[in-house]
Amino acid sequence: MKPIAEQLGQLTRLEELAGQNSPIHRLHPGAKLAATGVYLLCVLSLGRLQFGRLTPYLLYPVVVLSLAEVPLGLVLRRAALALPFCAFAGLSNLLLERQVLLWLGPVPVTVGLASCGVLLLRALLCVSAVLALAAVTPFGHLTGQLRRMRMPSFCVALLEMLYRYLGLLAGQAGSMLTAYRLRGGSGTGLPVGHMGSFIGQLLLRSTARAQRVYQAMECRGGFTGGSAAQKRPFTRNDWLYLAAVCLPCLAARAVDLPLLLGRLFVC
Amino acid sequence: MHMSDALLSPTVGLTMCAVSAGALAVSAARVQRSQLTRQKLPMMAVGGAFVFAAQMINFTIPGTGSSGHIGGGILLATLLGGGPALLALAAVLVVQCLFFADGGLLALGCNIFNMGVLPCLVVYPLVVRPLLCRGLTPRRLSAAALLGAVLGLQLGAFGVVLETQLSGITALPFGTFAALMQPIHLAIGLGEGLVTAGVLCFVARVQPEVLESTQQARPMEKTASVKKIAVLLLCLTAAVAGGLSLFASQNPDGLEWAVQAVAGSTELEAEGAVQEGAAALQEKTALMPDYDYADGEGNGTSTAGVVGSALTFTLAGGVGLALAAAKKRRAKQRAAKQG
Repeated sequence: MKPIAEQLGQLTRLEELAGQNSPIHRLHPGAKLAATGVYLLCVLSLGRLQFGRLTPYLLYPVVVLSLAEVPLGLVLRRAALALPFCAFAGLSNLLLERQVLLWLGPVPVTVGLASCGVLLLRALLCVSAVLALAAVTPFGHLTGQLRRMRMPSFCVALLEMLYRYLGLLAGQAGSMLTAYRLRGGSGTGLPVGHMGSFIGQLLLRSTARAQRVYQAMECRGGFTGGSAAQKRPFTRNDWLYLAAVCLPCLAARAVDLPLLLGRLFVC
Repeated sequence: MHMSDALLSPTVGLTMCAVSAGALAVSAARVQRSQLTRQKLPMMAVGGAFVFAAQMINFTIPGTGSSGHIGGGILLATLLGGGPALLALAAVLVVQCLFFADGGLLALGCNIFNMGVLPCLVVYPLVVRPLLCRGLTPRRLSAAALLGAVLGLQLGAFGVVLETQLSGITALPFGTFAALMQPIHLAIGLGEGLVTAGVLCFVARVQPEVLESTQQARPMEKTASVKKIAVLLLCLTAAVAGGLSLFASQNPDGLEWAVQAVAGSTELEAEGAVQEGAAALQEKTALMPDYDYADGEGNGTSTAGVVGSALTFTLAGGVGLALAAAKKRRAKQRAAKQG
């Protein structure tokens, strides 16, 4: 299990990526949220043995992440964290469902193997889609969209404060650790005898800053609604993006596109 | 206990999203109607941050080879009340889902229900609060924390089993799955109960009015300071983040352990009314039935399907590479122009 500072660094990394400027970043957060929702529903509604029909859905995360200039490796590494969990769940299918479904040459593909593969691919696609959303939409835009969707402002405010506090804690700890090391502290971590005062200082500073953050957010109208720049209607590009994602997803859901493609080459 | 999207069918996922959304709406409405002081909002956020940190740390369960992490529902519910605790936990789960791929987007409803609604809106008012209404002694706090944590996790684990079975994704029989999930989460619940008891006893000693106001459902006195409580929670957060993370267990969590245990056991027949019902439900939700891999009659169909899938894979990868190459070329041209 990685230290929390390292994991919170991933939050910062995603936030940096979300602040870039690309055609995908400039889209309305509502359009991106709706497209992700339709995509997830289409992927999850496929049957547990429909491995081939899942493959067209690879295009969405690949295209979106490429256009948004988000490193694919970063998303795949995050997605890989969710795969072992699904692999263990799929392992039961592998062992309990041993009827042969088809033969790939001399290699038998059982029902269990197919359903396990579908489970893993579904997990990869779903996690990639959600991470793609987080990597192209600043958190503030997402919460602004939640407000426009009439989510109680109290709940959105809590989400924003929690997000802020996580970064606050990690940032404060990092700067204090740097200061400690510059003053000749141990390079391999804090000695036990120093932990008490270090944590005490961290707490007092973080708590004071947290109170100021809360008051600053209130003064900036942070809990009353999104900024004026975020309140914009859907543009033509937003509708085009929505259509470009939803229509192919629904088409791939209705028609077995890989089968049609394969029939062009196999008699 | 975070469920992934891949383990759910859309029907189950959307239904649980609706149920959790309803519970969140009711909680938010109650919070806004009540005289929740502005001091408690930072407290909710700090509590959420602590639970967030704590959920990242797994503790090993002796003798099982598995590990678990606290849910935090009972702790937050006792400190803040059932409704505010549910809202704080929901916020934590949303952040975990979006940024850490811990739990799926469609599975948010299930995760909020299993780890939030059940402990905060069911176990807390029915079990924990009645135990504490007679007084906030260390013994009562410890007993309430242990009992609440164990019951909350048992119900949550059972929820995972039910939702997975209703989705019809896994071939694990209901009875076997439940028989493996419940005991492991009993051990996790005991661990969480001990942690929760420790925190609550400290709060009761340092700032008892926080707990008293929550138990009696009256607003805190404006002179009461939650700074100490916020300091404690941040202290625990920092200790968990900086110290305990070094000792975090690498063992699989309860759900993974349960499935591994099944894999090691003798073969079981997958049969039962729940399995059949789940299969029938999934057939109804599918617009088209499972495509024909053919059992000898349609070898051409299966081959075409495999070839088509491979081509689609290649196409998707090719599109990605082409886009990346185009971007690199444009970046080089821009750099050359500026140079």
